[in-house]
Amino acid sequence: MDAALSLTDISKRYGAFQAVKDLSFSVPKGSICGFLGPNGAGKTSTLRMILGLQPQTSGSLSILGAGDGRSVRDRIGFLPEERGLYKKMTPVDAIAFFGALKGLPTGEGRKRARVMLKQQGLEHAQTKKMKELSKGMAQKVQLIASVVHKPEFVILDEPFSGLDPVNQQGLEEMIRGLAADGATVLFSTHVMQHAERLCDKVVLLARGQKAFEGTVDEAKATTRRFLELEGEIAVAAAKALPGVVSVETVRSDGPVHVLKAELAPGGRGQEALKAAFLNGLDVRRFELREPTLHDAFIGLTGDDPDQDQTVRRENLEAAR
Amino acid sequence: MNRTLLIARREYAAYAMTVGFWLSLLAFPMFAVLGGAIPILMRTSEPVRAVVLVEEGPGAEGLAGSVRESLAADAARRAARAAEAQEAAVKATGLPKEAVEQAEKQGGGGLSEALSRQRVRLVETPAELSAAGSVEGQEAVVRALLTADVERDAQIDSVVFLTRDEAGQPAARVWSRRATDDTVEDFIRDALQSANRRQVFESAGIDGSVVVETERFRPDVKLFSPQSASGGEVSFKDRLPGIIGLASAFLLWSLIITGASILLNSVMEEKSNKILEVLLSSASATEILTGKVLGVAMLTVTVLLVWAGIGSAGLLFSFPETARDIGSILLEGGMIWYFVAYAVGGYLMYAVLFAAIGAFCETPRDAQTLMGPIMMVLVIPIIVVQLALRTPDAPLVKIMSWVPFFTPFLMPARAPSDPPMFEIAGTMAGMFATALLMVWIAGRAFRAGALSDVKLSWKSFAGAIRGGGR
Repeated sequence: MDAALSLTDISKRYGAFQAVKDLSFSVPKGSICGFLGPNGAGKTSTLRMILGLQPQTSGSLSILGAGDGRSVRDRIGFLPEERGLYKKMTPVDAIAFFGALKGLPTGEGRKRARVMLKQQGLEHAQTKKMKELSKGMAQKVQLIASVVHKPEFVILDEPFSGLDPVNQQGLEEMIRGLAADGATVLFSTHVMQHAERLCDKVVLLARGQKAFEGTVDEAKATTRRFLELEGEIAVAAAKALPGVVSVETVRSDGPVHVLKAELAPGGRGQEALKAAFLNGLDVRRFELREPTLHDAFIGLTGDDPDQDQTVRRENLEAAR
Repeated sequence: MNRTLLIARREYAAYAMTVGFWLSLLAFPMFAVLGGAIPILMRTSEPVRAVVLVEEGPGAEGLAGSVRESLAADAARRAARAAEAQEAAVKATGLPKEAVEQAEKQGGGGLSEALSRQRVRLVETPAELSAAGSVEGQEAVVRALLTADVERDAQIDSVVFLTRDEAGQPAARVWSRRATDDTVEDFIRDALQSANRRQVFESAGIDGSVVVETERFRPDVKLFSPQSASGGEVSFKDRLPGIIGLASAFLLWSLIITGASILLNSVMEEKSNKILEVLLSSASATEILTGKVLGVAMLTVTVLLVWAGIGSAGLLFSFPETARDIGSILLEGGMIWYFVAYAVGGYLMYAVLFAAIGAFCETPRDAQTLMGPIMMVLVIPIIVVQLALRTPDAPLVKIMSWVPFFTPFLMPARAPSDPPMFEIAGTMAGMFATALLMVWIAGRAFRAGALSDVKLSWKSFAGAIRGGGR
């Protein structure tokens, strides 16, 4: 599949501070790509370089066939991390204004704005001022404003931050809808669950460097899976099960043990469980623990994506 | 529509579509009119104090007469001043004297009445005061008179006891209804000063009528200049270019600073609302900066047109002759082109600078680091502009005219005195060159500041200019 975006050894340095280092990845056309990493990992700096808002210190990139995001800005939609629209404008006017900046005639922009607001259940908010809308509503309006011109490439910087679960779900549906209409979507987040549900591809970033690039399943496959067994089971018997690499005792209550059996990469938990029953092991409770993208991230980077890399982030902001 | 114009249109509409903008726009001419009308209203609404004169003892004899003469002289002076004002109004409006008088009567007689109106009138001494024998008795009656709750017309505001001190010089005790009102006190002081002067001259053998006549004398001094239109006497019309120059300088200063401040606040608001980043993903920094500068310029032009419209209508209605003269100076004399050129250059210099500062700030407090010194520097031309009007060729004025940041304010003030062409061309070239340099510097700073989280300081601002944002 053709790449809508490809980065080759991109680096960004602010004075002595290395924000992004030798970053290379690509995003296939029409896909949804998650750009994942904790706050301060260099995601926003990378997105700004892709958009042409900041120059890279070294490396090259190609977006929609151009070497600089600025030359194809009308074909790109962008939702920044920190949201803001003109408070005294109505949603329709705001959407039409930002659409017009991307070359969409104002009249058409207003027409599309009304349709899209209605689709998002914001029909009643059309004539209100932005300052009268709730945060969730304003965020939806801003997303509409960034895609009203039907861009080929949509960049969303932390689109889920600050939204309640209902609005997060609505936003996920909007992103799926954009991809279904043929747009390529690249969104950054530090919340792995969204990426897990949405993405065809993920790029994991830690301390300004790429830690992983591939599908969600490929990312999960890089980390260990476990089968937890409880009963009067000997460690050696558990270790003999097919696909089991190692076993450790989590806790014991007399003869009853809770064992955590690590499965080999590609090992199937069901086969190990089936063999346990066939061998007559006293299995009173079992649980197959599939890794999450969150687990994969920790395994790949050693960082917890939910934790801010506060010092790094502060250094990055000061350096900017 | 291209992005620059879209941004300019939004910027313009954001202010021009608000009620507050039009209210503040109309407030200026309203306050200007009020500023002129209030002193007249104060004069005409001020009550005329009813004053009783009492000569204390034989030594004070004749002092009341002197006070009456002073009052009569004051009335004559005021009448003469009112007549002069009326004559000026006839000249300015080009209307016949009768028409001006008629218009004044219809308007309530404002200016003439204000100028001719006396603040003090003398009334008969009440019988009970004349009948009171002792000083204590008199003072008891005075207290009763000054605290009596009677009709305004029958009210006595002040009782003046005229006397002479041990040296035989005129003195007075002024009793006033209000302790804070010193009008009668001032009037009596002037009158007794005059009486004393007359007494001194008379004792030197000079007749009293000569002294009165001397005091009444008002010299007829006329200003002549070869630069006047007639080549001789200087008329109001000859003074008009100077007045227009000074007004232009002040108007330019106020419009440029107001426009630049609007821009500063607008950019700061967009920075704090995180709109700048969205805008930057849709348009270049140059397009955004140009659009915003253009939008606020349109706003400033709107303000100027509305003020000019109101001012012209007011002048045409009240002083058609003066309005014609102003029009001729601005259009035929070419002063309007000075105004336009310096407005464009000045606005460009300051607007882009303020916008660049705004790109680094989220609150006015953030901006204070740079704005404080800039505003202090901006006060300098306002002080010098008055000197430029009287002595346009003073070395200080000439030197400061060459400072590009002061050129837009000092050169319009100097324009009526026809400065040499090389100074006009040179200062204008310097101003536009600086404006272009400012656009370049501010463009770089704006680009860097818009995406920066760095706190504004001289160092960070200079760093942004060096780095250039991109």
